[in-house]
Amino acid sequence: MESSSRGGGGRLSVHDIELKNVSRWYGEVIGLNDVTCTVGPGLTALLGMNGAGKSTLLRLITGQLRPTTGELLVGGMEPFANPAVYRLMGYCPEIDNFYEHYNGFQFVNFMARLQGFDGAHAKRRTAEVIEHVGMSERAHKKIAGYSKGMRQRIKLAQAMIHDPQIILLDEPLNGLDPVGRREFIDVLGDLADRGKTILVSSHILFEVEQMTRSILLLHRGRLLATGDLREIRGLIDKHPHKIRVETSDPRRLATYMLDRANVVSARFERSGTAVQFEVAEPDAFYTMLMNVIDDHQLLVQGYSSPDNNLESVFRYLVSN
Amino acid sequence: MDQKLPSTSSSASSGPIADLTYRNYDGPMELPTHRWWAIAKLCIRLATKKRGFWIASVISGYWYLILAAVFFFVDLQTQGSPLGVKNPIFANIVWKDQFLNAFSISQLLLFICALMLGAGAIANDNRAKALLVYLSKPCTKTDYLVGKWMSIFIPITGVVAVPTILFYGYCLMSYRTYGFWTDDPFLLPKLLGMILVPGFFHASVVLGISSLFDQGRMAGATYAGMYFIGLFFTKAMQVIHIVNSRHDRPVPFVDTLYYMSVDGLQIGFAKIILNTQGSTLFPIPQGPSQAARQPLIEIPSVGLILSLYFGISFLAMWLAWSRVRAVEVVG
Amino acid sequence: MAVASIHNLVVKYGNFTAVNGLSCEVPEGCTGLLGPNGAGKTTLLKTFLGFVRPTSGTASVVGCDIRTQDRQIRQRVGLMPEQDCHIPGLSAVQFVAYAGELAGMPSAQALRRAHEVLEYCHLGEARYRNVETFSTGMKQRIKLAQALIHGPKLLLLDEPTNGLDPAGREDMLELVRSVSHGKGINVIVSSHLLPDIERVCDQVIVVMNGTLRAQGKISDLKRIDGHPVDVDLREPSPQFVEACIKRELTVNPTKAGAYRVQGAGTPEAINLHVIRAARESGAQIRGLTVAERSLEEAFMTAIQTPAESR
Repeated sequence: MESSSRGGGGRLSVHDIELKNVSRWYGEVIGLNDVTCTVGPGLTALLGMNGAGKSTLLRLITGQLRPTTGELLVGGMEPFANPAVYRLMGYCPEIDNFYEHYNGFQFVNFMARLQGFDGAHAKRRTAEVIEHVGMSERAHKKIAGYSKGMRQRIKLAQAMIHDPQIILLDEPLNGLDPVGRREFIDVLGDLADRGKTILVSSHILFEVEQMTRSILLLHRGRLLATGDLREIRGLIDKHPHKIRVETSDPRRLATYMLDRANVVSARFERSGTAVQFEVAEPDAFYTMLMNVIDDHQLLVQGYSSPDNNLESVFRYLVSN
Repeated sequence: MDQKLPSTSSSASSGPIADLTYRNYDGPMELPTHRWWAIAKLCIRLATKKRGFWIASVISGYWYLILAAVFFFVDLQTQGSPLGVKNPIFANIVWKDQFLNAFSISQLLLFICALMLGAGAIANDNRAKALLVYLSKPCTKTDYLVGKWMSIFIPITGVVAVPTILFYGYCLMSYRTYGFWTDDPFLLPKLLGMILVPGFFHASVVLGISSLFDQGRMAGATYAGMYFIGLFFTKAMQVIHIVNSRHDRPVPFVDTLYYMSVDGLQIGFAKIILNTQGSTLFPIPQGPSQAARQPLIEIPSVGLILSLYFGISFLAMWLAWSRVRAVEVVG
Repeated sequence: MAVASIHNLVVKYGNFTAVNGLSCEVPEGCTGLLGPNGAGKTTLLKTFLGFVRPTSGTASVVGCDIRTQDRQIRQRVGLMPEQDCHIPGLSAVQFVAYAGELAGMPSAQALRRAHEVLEYCHLGEARYRNVETFSTGMKQRIKLAQALIHGPKLLLLDEPTNGLDPAGREDMLELVRSVSHGKGINVIVSSHLLPDIERVCDQVIVVMNGTLRAQGKISDLKRIDGHPVDVDLREPSPQFVEACIKRELTVNPTKAGAYRVQGAGTPEAINLHVIRAARESGAQIRGLTVAERSLEEAFMTAIQTPAESR
């Protein structure tokens, strides 16, 4: 299922990531199966169960692998073994392999030199980028002594060192404490606002939700959904929208709502203080609900839709 | 009529449908002093599943088989010979040296057993971070190390003990006429002492080396390297000794160097326990300078052998102790 | 009875003070242990298990003193470590049974119970497979199984949902919730994922710089005085705001299309006013909930206020 909007821009710029019928096998094991999509400026979340093909996709985009069939273009060029494309991209991988005897500053500086910056420029950029990720005080300690969160920040720093247009992150929030998470998300949001294309792969759905509404969902190697979360939710007909109303007299409320064809089911909670409706057309239902409560002056503690979030959408899509 | 229907259990929540969810454990518990045995038991069970271990351990006693066959047939032959003719083999035999020879010959295979049992003992645990499991239970570093040590010591000692004791029993029953018992009534306790020698040494050293690595293969390769370099060195010493003895220039220093290897230390220790310097089964052709022609190496100095043997063992044990840290169990 | 009592605990690593005069009582039930990295959380857990000797202060865990009875503590406590760990070369049931034997169970009992616990942790199908072939989710569950095998009175879970995909996280949280509620096992969960803690725990302890910063029931920490309501409209509507103000309600916009409304009277009465205001202004309310601080906000507030316990 596809919806047309992409996060952020919407214009096909030359910096996009474009996949056309891309498949990748490892022997007989399928990594990606016939995936067609584009990723544009803004923050896009790459989601999927373990083994769905997220790492394969990232490795294809970063040019570590070649697609077995199909066409993959990054900034209009093929990324495999193509240094021109590497200049456009920064990659923050999940694994943690550093030169442990370096300190943070030296490591990022080294990466900068590898990118081709000369000595003074590299030092300057390194200092800037380390400041940006909030590691200024601790950059001069050896990496061997870093906590997980500090390593994540250094990884992001080396990915950003050459100010790339495209940044790919694989589980970047792993090991960060809540304060660190917030800061990291803010840094990413800031980069996205500046028009960069950021692709984040993560399992932590409630955080992904705070970052963006644009998702790319893979399942068993295939592309299951891509686009705006709300639109996707609207299109999942198989699972009618759930709306839960907390009230001291749920059955009375239900009697007023049930004679509209919109309502698919009503479930009364055991505590007797709430009722959960499943409705086919939420829009009409909400208006109806407001009118009913107002007309009959019902005492309601509140209502909300428990499955209007990324986790529920994910679950519905994947369990089909 | 009230028929007694089967019910699920006699506990409080009985009825036709059993409650199969989690329930607590309030059953019997073992004493903490036995914890090492649980560890040793598992390691022994895992190691003895390997076919290679059984093959190596059976082959390690092959010399005893050969000896038993030789003695049997020689004995059979001399049954028919006229009295007064002395049997060349049994006339001058030194019984305890037969055990020493078999012991020396089995060294290589014992070493292979030790590698199989112990190379990965701590190394594999390092890789799998098994210590997190061990130490989060009421199990101390001592329990862990003692358990691992025993899991190598017990099988190796068993592998040495079985053929030795069997052969001893066979000789005791069959060759008392040739002086088996009268030559040395205290042979059995000395043998029991000798039997403990390889297990103790290998268990300590292999654990020490294993604790240095993350992969069983690396630890095994290191120990094998040490073993074979030492072996090569001592064989070289043996050749030099023979050359020297032929030229009437005995150099005692070379004799000592002969014992400077994994094998050598153990053989030296065995010689000390048995109080012998070894002998061959068949008499050596006499020549001009008989003493100088002896290709047998002198019994080594007790102080040197004992201090090296125990020194290296304890050093290795200390190494294992210090490398196995109560690692970052949390975070 | 408190699961753990700590009085003025001080733990130092050389010159660095990891835990600096911490005092608290860990209540029964399911407690979340929160704190930024380097706050002393991990040191606290290590001290509970007897791996680190405190410099001063006392503490008792499940009724045993940490200085003298650390073996008994580990007898009654089950730890699910954050890092992947297993005993090489064993199948699932052998591994869990071995863990039970290490805890002192006789081997027959350990094996029997290992089967039970594996079933409970939804590993029944894979119980004869070598642990090294397990996926991340299964490895996490077997760590939980080996923590439960000896029937502990207290479970320490360190980042239980580490590396799990959304379905796996769901399963694990369900499992933890069922273990902690209704089975009489006290649980302490240490995690950085606050919604997980919210889902599973009833109370939290917040630690920072080695001291206690906040402690209490999650519902108490989230409550906002004056019970305002969060109103989620289909699209932003200034007319709605006006209509509310006319009804003597204070309105503060929070996100695009969402407002926090405060007023006098019962929540139900306020809701009626809000719905009437929306109806009049042609706005559609899609969500009407009692405003709560998220646990994350409560946590941030706790660590930013100067050191003051409770």
